[in-house]
Amino acid sequence: MYLNKKILKNINIYIPIVTLLLIIIGLFAVSSAVEVNNDTTGYIYIQKQIIAAILGIVIAIIIQFFDYRLLKEYYQLIFGSSVIILIMTYLYGANISGGRRWIDIGIVNFQPSELSKIALIVVLASILDSKEEYNSLKDLLLPFIYFIIPFSLIIMGNDLGTALVLLFILFIMLFVAGINKKFLYVFFGGGFLTVLLIIIFHIIFNTSIPFLKEYQINRLIAFINPSIDPQGIGYNIIQSKIALGSGKLTGKGLFQGTQNQLNFLPEKHNDFVFSVIGEEIGFVGIIVVLVLFFFLFWNFFKIATEAKDRFGKLMMVGIISLFFFHVLENIGMTMGIMPITGIPLPFISSGGTSMVVSLIAIGIAININIRKKKIYF
Amino acid sequence: MKNKIKILKIFVIVILVLLAFRAFQLQILEGEYYYNLSEGNRTSFRPITAPRGKIIDKNGIILANNNLSHNLYLLPNEVPPNVDISLLLRNVSKLTSLSYELLSENYNYSKDKVNRENALLIKRNISQRDMIIVTENKKELPGILVRESSLREYVYDNLAAHMIGYIGEISLEELRYNSTQGINSYHVQDMIGKTGLEKEYEPYLKGSNGVRQIEVNNLGEMVKVLGIKPPIPGNDIILNIDYNFQKEVENILSDHINQLIKLAEEDEEMYSPTGGSAIVINPNNGMILAMASFPDFDLNTFSGGLTEKDFEKFSSDLMKPLLNRNIMAAVPPGSLFKLVTGTAAIEYLNVKQSTEFVDDNGLFYLPNWSRPFKNWHSGGEGKLNFTKAIARSNNIIFYKIGYQLYERYRGEKLVQTAIDYGLDNKTNIDLPEEKSGSVPKMALDEYDGNWYPGDSVNLSIGQGGLLTTPIQLVNYISAVANQGTLYQPFIVDKIIDYEGKVIYDQKPKVLKKLGFDQDLYQILHQGMKEVTMSSYGTARSTFRDFPIKVAGKTGTAQTGTEEVSHGWFGGYAPIDNPEITVLVFLENGSSSSYTLPIAGDIIKKYFKVNDQKT
Repeated sequence: MYLNKKILKNINIYIPIVTLLLIIIGLFAVSSAVEVNNDTTGYIYIQKQIIAAILGIVIAIIIQFFDYRLLKEYYQLIFGSSVIILIMTYLYGANISGGRRWIDIGIVNFQPSELSKIALIVVLASILDSKEEYNSLKDLLLPFIYFIIPFSLIIMGNDLGTALVLLFILFIMLFVAGINKKFLYVFFGGGFLTVLLIIIFHIIFNTSIPFLKEYQINRLIAFINPSIDPQGIGYNIIQSKIALGSGKLTGKGLFQGTQNQLNFLPEKHNDFVFSVIGEEIGFVGIIVVLVLFFFLFWNFFKIATEAKDRFGKLMMVGIISLFFFHVLENIGMTMGIMPITGIPLPFISSGGTSMVVSLIAIGIAININIRKKKIYF
Repeated sequence: MKNKIKILKIFVIVILVLLAFRAFQLQILEGEYYYNLSEGNRTSFRPITAPRGKIIDKNGIILANNNLSHNLYLLPNEVPPNVDISLLLRNVSKLTSLSYELLSENYNYSKDKVNRENALLIKRNISQRDMIIVTENKKELPGILVRESSLREYVYDNLAAHMIGYIGEISLEELRYNSTQGINSYHVQDMIGKTGLEKEYEPYLKGSNGVRQIEVNNLGEMVKVLGIKPPIPGNDIILNIDYNFQKEVENILSDHINQLIKLAEEDEEMYSPTGGSAIVINPNNGMILAMASFPDFDLNTFSGGLTEKDFEKFSSDLMKPLLNRNIMAAVPPGSLFKLVTGTAAIEYLNVKQSTEFVDDNGLFYLPNWSRPFKNWHSGGEGKLNFTKAIARSNNIIFYKIGYQLYERYRGEKLVQTAIDYGLDNKTNIDLPEEKSGSVPKMALDEYDGNWYPGDSVNLSIGQGGLLTTPIQLVNYISAVANQGTLYQPFIVDKIIDYEGKVIYDQKPKVLKKLGFDQDLYQILHQGMKEVTMSSYGTARSTFRDFPIKVAGKTGTAQTGTEEVSHGWFGGYAPIDNPEITVLVFLENGSSSSYTLPIAGDIIKKYFKVNDQKT
C-alpha cells in the first residue's frame, strides 16, 4: 500500500474533470426530472445522488492507495463473493417490477448486479492475462465458466439489461485478448442467429421465448414498430422521441420541458434522463454530454495503450466496454434506435449503486493510469 | 493487442458520432414535428357548452331555463392500457350511486359513436355527491372525468309541454341533416330541440359553444388554463302566451276531460274521450294566447336524456300524450265546417239571412239514391231561415245547399271555399310537424268522374274525406270573426339575445285576404250569434246567459267506422269587437255539448269574469 507524489504526477486530469462535469449535469437533469421546482419530495433523489457521488469519489480515492494488480491476486475471492451476493439477491431480494435485483441494506437499496459487472471485468482480465492467444476451445472453457455463472444468475433475476452488458464485456474482452476469430464468429454469430430464430418462431408460431418475460418481448416488438400500440408498449419510445426531438436546438429551458414536467415521459429521472436533457437543453445539451463521454473514452483508450501490463490493458478494455455499452444502449434507447432495457446512463441517471460502481470503475482507471510506468516503485 | 484496441476505439468513436447524428436528425431536422407533437400532448381542448336560450312568457315568467349540472365522461385515450374498462366502470359504480348496468349500457351505446380522442358521455346529470366522489377519487378512476354542463329545466313541468317541446341527444340523422345544411356546430351527444318551440327555434336557442384550451398532464388532468373562447349563450324567446292564462286553459281542459272520463266509467252508454285540445288566439293578428293539448307530459323527463322505461311508457300509452293534437290531429271538423258551406251559399247561391229553407222530416234524399241522409235531430224542424239553420246546425238544410252547389258548380265552389279558408294548407304556425289536413281536391277537376252528388252533400256538413287540424279551424273561425283576413298564427313574439337586444320581432303576418263581402260576414256572424244566444241555438246551454257575448259554432263529427264522434266548438268573443277566438276539440268526445263548458270556462277566465251560475 503506497501512494507517493511522484506517481500522482501521472494522473490524467481530464478523467476526474469530465466525470465531475457529467455528475453535475446529471444532478440538474435529475432535479428537473423529479420536479424539485414543484415537488419537494424530489429533493430525496438529489440527496441520494449527491451522497452516492461522494461515497463513490471517496472509494475511488481509497482505491488509489492500492496497486490495481492486487485485484488479480484476489480475483477468485472477488468472483466468489459477487456470485454469493447474486444468489442472496435472487433468494431474498426485493421484487421490483418483475425482477429481483435489489438488496435492501437499511438506508439504501443496493443493486448487486451493478457490482457484478466490475467483478466480471476483474475476473476476465485476470484469467485472460495468462496467454497472448486463444486458439483452442479448451482455452475458452475457463473464461466461459466464470462468465456463465453470474450471467445465468442475473438472467434468473430477470435483469436482461445487465446480462447484455456482461455479454458485451465478454465479447469485447475476448476479442481484445486475442481470441481466435473463428470462435468469436461461431459463439456470437451462432448465439445471435439462435436468438433471431427464437424471435422469428415466436412471431410466426407463437412459441415461448426462454428467459424472456412478456414485457421484455413487448419491448422488442415495440422497438421494431412503436406505432403498434402507441398508448401501450410503444408509449415509452414514442414519448421519449417526442421529448428529445421537441427540444430542437436549444431546448425548452431547464424545468420547462412539457414532456418531462407533465409526466408524459416515463422513468424520466432514471432510464430516460437523457430525454429530459434533450428536451430542456436541446441539441446543444446532447452534444455537450456526447462530447464529454467522447473525451472520457478518448482518455480511457489513452490509459489502455499506456498501461504498463496486459492485465491493466484488459481491465481498461473491460471498463471501456462497460461504459460504452451503457452509453450506447441508454442513449440509443431514448432515440429509438435501441430496444428498451433498464440500463442507466453512467453518472447522469438517478441511482446510487450505478453511481458508486461507475466511480469505482473510474477509480480503477485512474489507478491504472497513475501506475503506467514501471520506474516508480 | 494494440491493433485490437485501436479497432475498438474506432468503433466507439463511430458509434458516438452516429448518436450525435441521430440527435441532429430528431432535434434539428425533425424538431418542429416533435415539437408540435409535444404541444399536442400538452394541450387539450375542452368544449364549454353554451347555455341554451330561455323560453319566457309575455310577462317575463321563465318557462324553460338552464341549471348547472355535471356529466360523467370516459376518455378512452386516457384509460391506461392495462386497465379494463368494465372494471373501471365497476369501480365508478362501487363509489357512486350509479349502477354498473346503466354505466356499461351507456358506455356501449356511445362508444361506437365517438372517436377515441373524444370524451364518451356515460351519464348525464349526475348528483352533486357523485360529482364530488368522482373528482376526489380521480387517481383510482383514470380516464373518468366530470364536466360541467347545463341541464334544461322546464320550470312548470307539464305546462305548455307540447308547445315548448323538449330537447334530446342529437341523432345521427339530425347530424347528417345539419351537415348537409352547412351547419357543423353539432357534435355527437349534443342536445338538440326535438319537438315544439325547442325544435322550431333551435338555431336561435342553441347559442355557440366556447372552448377552453388547457394544459394537461399525462393523466389528462388539467394543469392550467391556456386560453378561453367564451361561449355565446343562446337567445331567449318571448312568447305571446301568458303563463297564468295558459295554465288556466290547461287546467280547464284537463279537469273537464277527466270528469268526462270519470262519467264514462260510471255510465256504460257514454264513451270516454281519448284526448282533447284547446286554442285561444287573437283573431286580429294571429297571436296564440293559449294552447293546450290533453293528455300532456312532464318535459323534465326528457332533459336528462329519456330512459328506456320512460320511452316505453310514452310509446305504449294509447292516449298518445306526446301528440300535440292542436297541430297534429287531422280529423273531420263536422258541423264546424258549415260556416264554409254557408260562405259558399251566400257567395255563390245568393242566399240571404232571410232565405227560407224547409226540413220536413229530418231526411234528405238524393235523386236515384234510396238511402236518406239524416239530420242529427230526428223528425223535421219545419221552416228555418238561413241563420236559424246555422244555429240549429240543421244538416238537411246544408245537404240541400250542398246539393244546389253541386248542381250548379259540382264540388268546385265548396271545395274552393274550404281552400280559401286555409283548410288545405298548413297554417305555418311556428311549431314543427304541423299536419296540413286535407280537402278533397278532386272536386276541383271538372272531368274527374269520381266526384258524386253524395260527396258534395257529405262535404257540406264537414264530413266525407275532409280532414282538418284544430289550428286550421281556429284560424278559419278567426277569419270569419275578423271578416276575411287569414293570419299566420304565432306563438313567439320576440327573440332577444343574451345582451337583451331584440333580434327578431314578430309582426302579424297575413296569409290571405279572403275578399268576400262585408254582408256575407254579417250573415255568418248573425248565424253564429244565434248558435249561442238564441233560444234554439246548439250552444245556448252555456252561452245564452253568459256574462260575455260569444258567437260560435258547434260540431259533432263522425269519425268513420267508429260509433263515437269528435266534439267541436269554435267561437269568438266579444261579439262586437272580437278579442279572442276559442277552439275546443274533444277527441272521441261523443258530442259537441261537452265542449261548451270548456269553451265557456276559458272565455270567462280570459275576461276574468266570475262564475255567476252555480
